[in-house]
Amino acid sequence: MSDDQSSWRACRGVAGPCLFTILLTALALPFGTYIQYVASLCLIAAIVGVAMVLIVGFARVIMLTSGAMMAVGAYGSTILVERLDVPYLLSLIAAAAFGALAGAVVALPASRFRGHYLAMATLVFQFVIIIGLREWSSITGGAAGLSVQNAQLFGHRLTNDGEYLLFIGLAATVAVAILTTLLYGHYGKALRAISATEIGAESFGIHVARHHLFAFVISSAAMGFAGALLAPRVRILDPESFGFASSVFMLAYPVVGGMHSVWGGLLGGAILRALPEALRAGQELQGLIYAILVLSVMTLFPRGLVGAISDLARRTRTPREDRTLAAAKLAATPAGRSVGQSIERPLALEIDDVNVSFGALRAVDHLSLDVRAGTIHGLIGPNGAGKTTLFNAISGFIAIDAGAIRLFGSGLEGEAPRLRIAHGMTRTFQNVALFGPLTCIDNTILGLGRNGIGKSVGASIAQLFATTGDRARRQVALEALAAVGIDHLASREAQSLSLGDQRRLELARAIASQPRLLLLDEPVSGISRDEETGILTLLRRLSVERAITMLVIEHNIHFIRRLCDRVSAIALGRILAQGDPETVISDPQVRSIYFGESALTTHVGPP
Amino acid sequence: MEELPRLLLGGLKIGAVYSLAALGIVVIHKATRTVNFAHGALIMLGAYFGFFLLRLFGLPYALVYLLAPVAVGGLAAGTEWLFLRRLRRSDAFSVVISTIFIGLAATELIRVAYRSDLLSVPQVWNGPPFFIGDFVLTRETLWIIVGALFMAGTGASLFAVARFGRPMRAMAASARGAQLCGYSVNVVYAQAWFLGGTLAGFAGLFLAPVMGITPELADIMIVPAFVAAILGGFDSIKGALLGGVVLGLIETLSAAYLSSASKSALTFLILLAILLWRPRGLFPESKIRDV
Repeated sequence: MSDDQSSWRACRGVAGPCLFTILLTALALPFGTYIQYVASLCLIAAIVGVAMVLIVGFARVIMLTSGAMMAVGAYGSTILVERLDVPYLLSLIAAAAFGALAGAVVALPASRFRGHYLAMATLVFQFVIIIGLREWSSITGGAAGLSVQNAQLFGHRLTNDGEYLLFIGLAATVAVAILTTLLYGHYGKALRAISATEIGAESFGIHVARHHLFAFVISSAAMGFAGALLAPRVRILDPESFGFASSVFMLAYPVVGGMHSVWGGLLGGAILRALPEALRAGQELQGLIYAILVLSVMTLFPRGLVGAISDLARRTRTPREDRTLAAAKLAATPAGRSVGQSIERPLALEIDDVNVSFGALRAVDHLSLDVRAGTIHGLIGPNGAGKTTLFNAISGFIAIDAGAIRLFGSGLEGEAPRLRIAHGMTRTFQNVALFGPLTCIDNTILGLGRNGIGKSVGASIAQLFATTGDRARRQVALEALAAVGIDHLASREAQSLSLGDQRRLELARAIASQPRLLLLDEPVSGISRDEETGILTLLRRLSVERAITMLVIEHNIHFIRRLCDRVSAIALGRILAQGDPETVISDPQVRSIYFGESALTTHVGPP
Repeated sequence: MEELPRLLLGGLKIGAVYSLAALGIVVIHKATRTVNFAHGALIMLGAYFGFFLLRLFGLPYALVYLLAPVAVGGLAAGTEWLFLRRLRRSDAFSVVISTIFIGLAATELIRVAYRSDLLSVPQVWNGPPFFIGDFVLTRETLWIIVGALFMAGTGASLFAVARFGRPMRAMAASARGAQLCGYSVNVVYAQAWFLGGTLAGFAGLFLAPVMGITPELADIMIVPAFVAAILGGFDSIKGALLGGVVLGLIETLSAAYLSSASKSALTFLILLAILLWRPRGLFPESKIRDV
């Protein structure tokens, strides 16, 4: 079944990169000491490469402090071993911890910033660490360097290149396995979801800042670990070898290899680390050749070597049948909680005298609105009436200035958007906010909302072992896809779907967590008439079968009339009229303000 | 405390150059939404171009100040036109990454040609210094403070007031809107890189007699240029001008009264503090823009 298949796929995803490091070790072992030495450097670079894929490719932060992170690990471990007689193995773990700590410091601004500000913070951190190492010479040896003794493992001192290679190969395999598990698991998907749409991610419970912080921590830990592995190999640590130039060199690993897959980091790291050894003759030209190589790869193969290889493979291979298609056709009965049509329906959503202002503009003005459980409630009004503002206030993206919003009786004051999914509320977006590069099934799994940082790391590990939790998640997600009728597209990338299917996928993601209230922002804008009818039946069915209360913004009056039980018309942030659809639509005030009938009549006649 | 005026002048001198450097970054970022990590390299090239024209062609300083920055600007615009433009089609993220490697390529090219020799150029003014009371103001210091701040001011008004900057301002306000008004993205982006590059060239030229000319200038200048820009709010022209001066003063004073190493630690702390508590900088633009 598909569950076992997914676990098998997850295992294979991790096994491949591990096999690469093992194979690299095994292939270099029979050769001479020089090759063995270079292979160990390449293995260390492969760890860094995968860590860079995590932070650059998945979290999309331009990391310019990898040299400093390696220095933190290398110096940290060496000082522990030399001064405090800590065993080397223990110092490796300590080095990872030092790296993690340094990563957390750099990531401090990540709580507020993405992108370029973080890149600049990493740049400055890089320079500060190196200057610190140079100046604090009583501990670090300063510019003269710090000599490192051969590593000692369980009383045995490593002396030759072969022994080192074996040990480093083993360590690299472990590190790559851990990083790959995270990257290909739930955590990596959450990261990619964030880079696709932060607002979408936030509204499905992904804590953006914490996920970014963890990306810094884990990748810096890996770099610190790599630095500690490197220390006994270079014999003398000097600050300059971990300088800004080395960070730029390491940034090239994921760029050249391909920053969207673990393989990109492995290949980029291994190849680029071997390159200077191959270019020994033209030492002074190395930097220039390196820069030109990177720029050429960026222009010719924007997705890196791995992207180029997979494009080539795709062109030669015949397209094979979508395997999950068959798997998805399993009994997909929605886990509906049918609700009795009780007459006295409780309130699902209470909006009580709410105000939202942007400067002098009052977008929502003392607005009160009740949505009864089990109903489909329409929200109409001209552009700028405050409909989407109201939605954003309900889902927590905008703070309200006054009033209260209650969901099934409990207040929501000051709760972050990502926490509101726990109250049983989800939403869709006017301009579809899907996680484009992820598959439909992954989009829907993220929609389940168990996306706290701990849970998402846990789920990454669970995926390897096909635990019942992991199985259940996939099953629920498949059911949600089936309920909106796109289960046959489960393994397609979300961005490759038609707009109509994308809107269906947004619905699947929104209903996966079995919400009690669903906010729909223009669910049928921009799609065809046929699709419109399809969505209409779908929404009605979901409302009954899954007992979901819905609040719908839509300009398509025809659609609202057929879909909704009640309608509220708003303009300038205030309620104009409320009641059943026909009454509201025929209300003279609504007709004049929204449909512009009075304007129409005054303009009829000679120009 | 007697040396305080001397320190302040020193801080002002380096601060004026930081202002020029930061302004170039801000101009390019505002108009093209690209953070230019090659800016340090452009500054370094300004110093080298000055050296070429002075020493190899024997041009007088007046002509060098006219030609060298413009040459750097032309190079920057050419890079945008020939290279970044192609890359931008696929992904804005890779454009920023590519500027890092463009900077590396330029620095390495110079290193291959000149090794890491410290080249020098003569001072612009050689006359006797001015005495104000019992403290000395060299002509060179005065020239750098006044000249660099004047050029930064000129650059800022070119962008923010003059007709030359209108398409860039339009692009900064709304790229789509500017396109609809008939401005070509390619041309305006090249213009912005030209202006930013020229400012970087001036920064390098003012710096050359003081710091000497090495490929290291690229790395030395990139951090203060960014920190000065962030200090000012990163998207604020006025902020970049003031941020440079403030950073120059802080650095000089902390190096004198604390230690030279504390200078860089302080730089990082300032950056962290600004990012955490005052993300819009010390001197934000009046208009609130989406982040």
